[in-house]
Amino acid sequence: MKKRQQLQLFVRSLFLQTGWNYTKFQNLGLAFAMWPVLARLYRNDKDALPSVLNRYLEVFNTQPYMASFCLGTFARQEELIAQANTLTEFNERITEWGGLKRALSITAASIGDRLFWGTLKPFTLLVALVIWLVMGVNFFDIPLSQNPNLGKVLAAAAAAFCVFNGVALFVRWQGLRLSYESDGAHCYGLTCFHWNETIYHAKKWGLISTILTILLGFYCYLKAFSPLQIHFLTRAVLVISFIMISFIARRLRIPTMYLYLGAVVVLNLVCYF
Amino acid sequence: MTPEIALLCFVAALLELDTTYAGQFQLSRGIMAGPLLSLITGDWMAGVQVGVFSELLFADISPLGGFLPPSTTICCAISLALYAAGIPLHLAFFIAVIGSILVAHVEKWMRKTRVKSLARWEQRVLQKPNYINRVILKNLLTSFLMNFLLLSFYIWAGIQLLTQLVPLVPHRADIACQFAYMAVPWLGLAALLPEFRFKRK
Repeated sequence: MKKRQQLQLFVRSLFLQTGWNYTKFQNLGLAFAMWPVLARLYRNDKDALPSVLNRYLEVFNTQPYMASFCLGTFARQEELIAQANTLTEFNERITEWGGLKRALSITAASIGDRLFWGTLKPFTLLVALVIWLVMGVNFFDIPLSQNPNLGKVLAAAAAAFCVFNGVALFVRWQGLRLSYESDGAHCYGLTCFHWNETIYHAKKWGLISTILTILLGFYCYLKAFSPLQIHFLTRAVLVISFIMISFIARRLRIPTMYLYLGAVVVLNLVCYF
Repeated sequence: MTPEIALLCFVAALLELDTTYAGQFQLSRGIMAGPLLSLITGDWMAGVQVGVFSELLFADISPLGGFLPPSTTICCAISLALYAAGIPLHLAFFIAVIGSILVAHVEKWMRKTRVKSLARWEQRVLQKPNYINRVILKNLLTSFLMNFLLLSFYIWAGIQLLTQLVPLVPHRADIACQFAYMAVPWLGLAALLPEFRFKRK
């Protein structure tokens, strides 16, 4: 894949979800991302463009960070379609393209949801929380303590930003190239990464980091009090109760935001009666 | 509305585009948006706190399929704007959580409404393929304007209402809201544990 084409696809893939709708999902974004490739391939056959674009305006939905694997494959497949010599060959390639579009979008979405939403996003949140707590930015303090150093405030956010985007941009950029250069034997670039192993290790580290963050948070929340003080005991009991309530709510599949809104109502009632 | 709050709404509406519409560099996450927006209001600690709390509160809801979690950027922007107007942070946060749920519903409505224009857009794109660039630009601008206007109105109405109501809020209700606010990080952190559940290799 030429660098210029890769860059065009990469930049346009950032707008894949613009125009998301409940009928055809990311179809507008897909057509927008693929437009330069299609315009180049069919510049001598402008009459063919509407039927080609029509294929891209059909239903399409995948995970945005993993979409590059679909886009690279589509670019390669479209070249093969444009080079078809006979009508039978053309029809066969169109049918193959349709099957690939369905299969790849589902597979990429499944991997992307587990890796980016299920693992990397909460993990980078923990990275920021640990950095803030270690640098003495105690966000548990209510009422608020004095404004900390601006550098400390931005450092943790920047670290989380760099970790997430380091992985996301790498996958987005490499996904385009690998999927364009690979064939069905390599699952169009998807098997070039060890997804399951990466997710397994990231989840393991995520679990360890969550436990560490809770312990560190517990320490920061209670460090101002001596263990024999009533405030220390009250706070410790409260924190443990909140954690237990959260576990029970999770088992009952109640999202934390409803738990918070419910807590406001229940606590108001408790305070009154 | 002060120029400071208008600027806050403008920046928040821009950051909100990062949630789904453009880029998805995660600048719209609470831990990024909170400190960034607090640069406008000047209270960085409040920015960090609402950023962390809003992100932990919505951490167990992922944007899988077509599902839309409430926006942490909107939550941070409303909390910080109300706090800058003198509303206690625990009350501002409660109003902001409701606001971000409402904005998520508006976004769902926008996505449903877009279906009505879809056939027309597709027709135009097939006639003139370059039109796809205009469709994308139009959707970006519509979303930005919608978020900016919605946020400005919600914050303006919130300030007008709460400055009248806060002095009337009984002390007990204030304590109850503060207590629930205090619980947020612990509820959120504990909810993260099952997120990292993994099967043995």
